[in-house]
Amino acid sequence: MPPIFTDFSASCNLKYVKLGYQYLVNHILALILVPVMVGVVVEVVRLGPEEIVNLWGSLHFDLVQVLCSSFVVIFVVTVYFMSKPRSIYLVDYSCYKPPVTCRVPFATFMEHSRLNLRNNPKSVEFQMRILERSGLGEETCLPPAIHYIPPTPTMEAARGEAELVIFSAMDSLFIKTGLKPKDIDILIVNCSLFSPTPSLSAMVINKYKLRSNIKSFNLSGMGCSAGLISIDLARDLLQVHPNSNAVVVSTEIITPNYYQGKERAMLLPNCLFRMGAAAILLSNRRSERWRAKYRLVHVVRTHKGADDKAYRCVFEEEDKEGNVGISLSKDLMAIAGDALKSNITTIGPLVLPASEQILFLLTLIGRKIFNPKWKPYIPDFKQAFEHFCIHAGGRAVIDELQKNLQLSPEHVEASRMTLHRFGNTSSSSLWYEMSYIESKGRMKRGDRVWQIAFGSGFKCNSAVWKCNRTIKTPTDGPWADCIERYPVHIPEVVKL
Amino acid sequence: MVSPQQHHDHVYDLKLLSVGPGHVTGSDVVHDLTGLDLAMKLHYLKAVYLFSSHAAEGLTIMNMKEPMFCWCNDYFMTCGRIKRSEPSGRPYIKCNDCGIRVVEGVCDKTLDEWIEMEDGSRWNLLVYHRVIGPELSFSPLVYLQVTWFKCGGISLGISWAHLLGDAFSVSDFVNNWGRCMATLKANGSPTVAPRSQTTVPKPQPLSAKQVNHVGDLWVIANNCKMETFSFNLTTQHLSNLIWRSIAKFREGFEPQVVTVCRKDPNHDNNILGNTQVIRSIKADFSVVESDLNKLASLIAGDQNQGRDERNMIEASVEKDNGLTDYIIYGSNLTFVNLVNAGLYEMELKGKKPRFAYYSIQGVGDEGAVLVLPGPPPQGSTVIMAADEAIW
Repeated sequence: MPPIFTDFSASCNLKYVKLGYQYLVNHILALILVPVMVGVVVEVVRLGPEEIVNLWGSLHFDLVQVLCSSFVVIFVVTVYFMSKPRSIYLVDYSCYKPPVTCRVPFATFMEHSRLNLRNNPKSVEFQMRILERSGLGEETCLPPAIHYIPPTPTMEAARGEAELVIFSAMDSLFIKTGLKPKDIDILIVNCSLFSPTPSLSAMVINKYKLRSNIKSFNLSGMGCSAGLISIDLARDLLQVHPNSNAVVVSTEIITPNYYQGKERAMLLPNCLFRMGAAAILLSNRRSERWRAKYRLVHVVRTHKGADDKAYRCVFEEEDKEGNVGISLSKDLMAIAGDALKSNITTIGPLVLPASEQILFLLTLIGRKIFNPKWKPYIPDFKQAFEHFCIHAGGRAVIDELQKNLQLSPEHVEASRMTLHRFGNTSSSSLWYEMSYIESKGRMKRGDRVWQIAFGSGFKCNSAVWKCNRTIKTPTDGPWADCIERYPVHIPEVVKL
Repeated sequence: MVSPQQHHDHVYDLKLLSVGPGHVTGSDVVHDLTGLDLAMKLHYLKAVYLFSSHAAEGLTIMNMKEPMFCWCNDYFMTCGRIKRSEPSGRPYIKCNDCGIRVVEGVCDKTLDEWIEMEDGSRWNLLVYHRVIGPELSFSPLVYLQVTWFKCGGISLGISWAHLLGDAFSVSDFVNNWGRCMATLKANGSPTVAPRSQTTVPKPQPLSAKQVNHVGDLWVIANNCKMETFSFNLTTQHLSNLIWRSIAKFREGFEPQVVTVCRKDPNHDNNILGNTQVIRSIKADFSVVESDLNKLASLIAGDQNQGRDERNMIEASVEKDNGLTDYIIYGSNLTFVNLVNAGLYEMELKGKKPRFAYYSIQGVGDEGAVLVLPGPPPQGSTVIMAADEAIW
């Protein structure tokens, strides 16, 4: 047989072997139990009913024994239900859709860049190269203050942007869920780079006249992964407070943080960060079980800040001329890969099926004992999840994760298309990606979703959700008017 | 980009931004320039519309921006930038949604005070203008300045590259914006002016004059300083008076040929382009001696006088594929009749403009006269060489 055919048939065989192995290991309990059950039933049938009654009588139970056993059983069951963590449901969420008046086409961005940096053609050239390869599209949006030449980032403009994005997302959430402002028990707002006094959470409380005994929190400075940190905080609070609603608002305010200098390492965020916000309603009320979209299964947080290089790789500082900007180090991708490995090591055992875990363990033992040159086994996370939401930090991040986790283009489609349509909206990008998957009609009951976000610090945070009910394609939401155009092909380099 | 605050500058606090189409135009859309368009590339039109405080009540730059995005959806070619095609070097417009430049300003005078001012060059303060080039692909084709007056009135000042279209197109463009402001809907996409089929060799036009190559900086090199004057007199007599006066002044060098531009009788409001009729008229008699009526009949109504040179200009430009640079306005003494340009059709909140003023930036040495309609008395703009100021 020709060698290609043998290779093909060999790989086919391997695929079936693998499938067989996975089925065997993942359903081992069922495969063992079923024969046992069948055996018992056969035995019972063979014995006949009178024999069973005789068997029962010969056991000589008396009242005390029966009472004690039932008491023990009831006690164990009660303890189990009391100590089980409450289920946290995601009732619904809404993402902010910027108006067309905030749109920034490539040509406009480049022209403004040339005018703002008129004395630094090299920096302009750098920005153009970044934009060409960024994976962004022509419909991403910047806030009104940044459209001016030069930008006018006043505090008033920053507050204006915050009010615009946060209140729009929240109004939309109230309409979608029917939530009344006075029913919000916990409010968490996260915005990394804009932290006025009074806080953004106070701004929300003031606008919607929320209750005076609300538990409000404002997380700032925690980077693009702060969205999942807020979810984690909400989960912990909902364990302590029964029968409560928690609203989480994730956003990033661009206005005060647009870098106005010429250092290249600091110009990168200007090219990628765009306006966005998301508002999420979480609840532990049993009554929400029926209409909730998702249930929170796991949140895993990994912090590499103990390592100096990781700590400094995304650093806000002043350049030589006193302009404040966020400096991204060249090791960013390597550090991100490292943080991801740590996170996977923790989340793997929680979510991977037994088949993958065994393989990983065996390869690990083999590498330690037999031959260190064996390739480390990368568990197949596609077995554990149906959908992946990778924070749309930039094209490089998505490429890197796709490679490391061996994901197909369909798995990273939500991330790439969100980057194209909305740009890097920081902590809210995960929600735009979820919305994309729902808008495409791909979210079915029982599907598991993995949200991964990276952030300054350096942190890698993951959340695992399980879809509670098949979600109908939404008629509103940020993708409503453009989902038919997607997915689009994004060229390696866009000709400007 | 903020203009330095000088003590005598009446308009200050300038802020610049860009406004483009709300919808993505597409990655490979281009707008081709005809020969006539290219012949006009060194000229720029300036238009100012003044609205009283009643019309401008409640308007802010934010609520003016949304209709602008809707308006730019239709006029996406005005939001593009010039590129040169390879290998001929012929300019065309790449419709890349870059946008028109919008400028906000504040004026320390009231509308009444402004209109009564005598300085003819004050209109330049209300129109932010930059020429195209030296970097063609980063030069906006249209600038829109919104200036707020002390009394609450506003002015809309448009600087428009003539290669996009003539003054009649500018008027349609502005009127459509008024409709967008009112209804957030526009009239529908303007179509592009039809191209003429020029295969038969045509004689040289009198109304177009070749100039030295300007390269990528599209500005006219005048031999003398040009100045702009405005008048409130009846039109016909003014034009004739000017022609006669100039003839008297330039004794021995009487302008025997003038160019007259007026609206094409078949003009369609939805066509964007250089469609105005350009006639060159020879006066084969001594202009100084003749009487006003004879001159008037030459300029004003008689359709058969002079020849329509549009096709000739087109043919001349196409001969070397648009590489030669021409001027039209000012190659001979030029009269532009804007009386039926619809200058007072724009409405803000249902109110018409208090005053509309048009001018041309970039006029050749022979000068130009624009005849404007207006609230009586009718106005005119005259652009002449400074040393020919005869009043």
